[in-house]
Amino acid sequence: MSGSANRLQLLSVMSFFINTLKNILHTMLQLLWFGKKTITNSLNIYIKTSGGNTLSVDLDPSWDIKNVKEIVAPKLGLEPEEVKIIFAGKELGDSITIAECDLGEQSILHAVKIKTKTKLPDISTDTIDEIEEQNTRPLCGTLNDAMFSSEDSTRNSSTTSGSDLDVSGNSNLRVHFFVFCPTCKTLKSGKIRVRCNFCNSGAFTVHSDPQNWHDVLEPKQITGLCENNPELCANILNNREPTFAEFYFKCSEHISLGEKDEAVPLYLIRPNLKDVPCLACADVSDPVFVFPCSEGHVTCLDCFRQYCVTKLTERQFWQHPEYGYTLACPAGCSDSFIKEIHHFRLLTEAQYGQYQRFGTEEFVLRSGGVLCPQPGCGMGILADPECTKITCINGCGYVFCRLCLQGYHIGECQTAEGDININNEGCLYNVDPTRAAEARWDEASKVTIKVLTKPCPKCRTPTERDGGCMHMVCTRAGCQFHWCWVCQTAWTRECMGSHWFG
Amino acid sequence: MAATRRLQKELGDIRNSGLKSFRDIQVDETNILTWQGLIVPDNAPYNKGAFKIEINFPAEYPFKPPKINFKTKIYHPNIDEKGQVCLPIISAENWKPATKTDQVIQALVALVNEPEPEHPLRADLAEEYLKDKKKFTKNAEEYTKKHSEKRPAD
Repeated sequence: MSGSANRLQLLSVMSFFINTLKNILHTMLQLLWFGKKTITNSLNIYIKTSGGNTLSVDLDPSWDIKNVKEIVAPKLGLEPEEVKIIFAGKELGDSITIAECDLGEQSILHAVKIKTKTKLPDISTDTIDEIEEQNTRPLCGTLNDAMFSSEDSTRNSSTTSGSDLDVSGNSNLRVHFFVFCPTCKTLKSGKIRVRCNFCNSGAFTVHSDPQNWHDVLEPKQITGLCENNPELCANILNNREPTFAEFYFKCSEHISLGEKDEAVPLYLIRPNLKDVPCLACADVSDPVFVFPCSEGHVTCLDCFRQYCVTKLTERQFWQHPEYGYTLACPAGCSDSFIKEIHHFRLLTEAQYGQYQRFGTEEFVLRSGGVLCPQPGCGMGILADPECTKITCINGCGYVFCRLCLQGYHIGECQTAEGDININNEGCLYNVDPTRAAEARWDEASKVTIKVLTKPCPKCRTPTERDGGCMHMVCTRAGCQFHWCWVCQTAWTRECMGSHWFG
Repeated sequence: MAATRRLQKELGDIRNSGLKSFRDIQVDETNILTWQGLIVPDNAPYNKGAFKIEINFPAEYPFKPPKINFKTKIYHPNIDEKGQVCLPIISAENWKPATKTDQVIQALVALVNEPEPEHPLRADLAEEYLKDKKKFTKNAEEYTKKHSEKRPAD
């Protein structure tokens, strides 16, 4: 009896010992596991809660959303099941890993308390799960390049029927966006983000994915639910319209500087899915610039830059009333102006500076203003059209005559040449008038302009004739006046008959 | 440089295409922006000779059009004494960056073969062409015999 009792005792001692060992092993393993979790490849992420607090957490890209909920919930005083995680317009499913979400260092996730249980766990069949799975994938995982290969939905649907099918069927092909990043000051790859069109909160889920650039760029295309304060947003809008999503972009290549750190989508720059050669150099490159014409003409980015520089130095950009100083398709397609002028940010800083200066000058001239004629100034001045005495108020202070662009004077403008009125009164030196005339600052270019050019009869742009016939077409964008070099008036049939070739 | 890459491609294509009407293309290795070649017209009165031309591409090519100059004197209403030619396809208003040099050459050959007296560079020749075609043809033939290059054998 005693032996069996002893044995029992021994057994219980042993089991205690084994249990303890097991516990130690378990905690050690746990420690090791957690240790591993925080060490490898951590990503510092901000989590914004519905209360308006922001938590800073370190996440491992290999963790899934369930892990994130387990970390976040206690900090909110909630159970993990009571929390949903929203990112870029989607409520993320538990099985999605961080790595799948296109998160960058210091990206912001939104944690929201689930208000009512909408889903009963018992009746979830496989199909529902599948749909659920689709809806809970991050936006970057459900969009692809084929969707965004054209602007409008009509063109998109017609092209998807053809060879595009292979491309859109490939779910591995992630969407590529290009942006001008104001922080990096250059073309970068970008990522799409979503917020409430009304309150700008990122805690917003879309009802459906954008299908093309039109859905992304035009306001109020995609509806959704604002999780920040759904009652408020819906109430203030008085339920007259649904809450809409607003899409915006961030640079993928620098650490996020917060919610205000946005980048401009350069949506005409696209991945070259079908290996279309550049219309100028015939090279196939990637990405490419797709002009907004019905043909969708393609140039490589180098040729786009060269096209801009060539047009810029010839002052052939067009002052569009809505879009600004812009260009159309180089193949001459109608209705093909570049709407988003940030695309010209592809130019170098110096070239972009020139673009801005020319754009401003063109705007001033179009608005009936004048440019200060002082060398190195060129300030645009908008003055009463009746007024001929113009003062360069915000620039160099020069006071000049609007008509002859010389220093302001009373009476008629002097047009006579060689009007060098050197006043020798009170001057002790005897200066040779011709020498004095030659020695005038900037005289050489004034003479060149006077000798070689004639002003366009319409816009007065000094024009040089470097050969050909007498039929002149003003090269200034927006003027294009046809005039006669001999008569200096509009070109007529009579000019053609009597002195076409001089 | 877009110009260099594109011109290398175009030059290769034109040399491989074996054009009968544009031959002996010579390009200086150090400057692909200048081409020389021989226009060999099919139509009278120019089919008795060949005409040397020079094509100058600007650095901004293909966003600016090339310029063509005749190095051989020619009696033609659309080509002046300096060798300048008025070809609509390469005028500033009509130029498209997608236009290829072989299209420009085809247009030039067509213009040499069929003068366009409605858009002349030499009003006197245009007038002669329209009013006295026989005299024009005779003069042009003589001029061609006197000034033009030898036609290639084949």
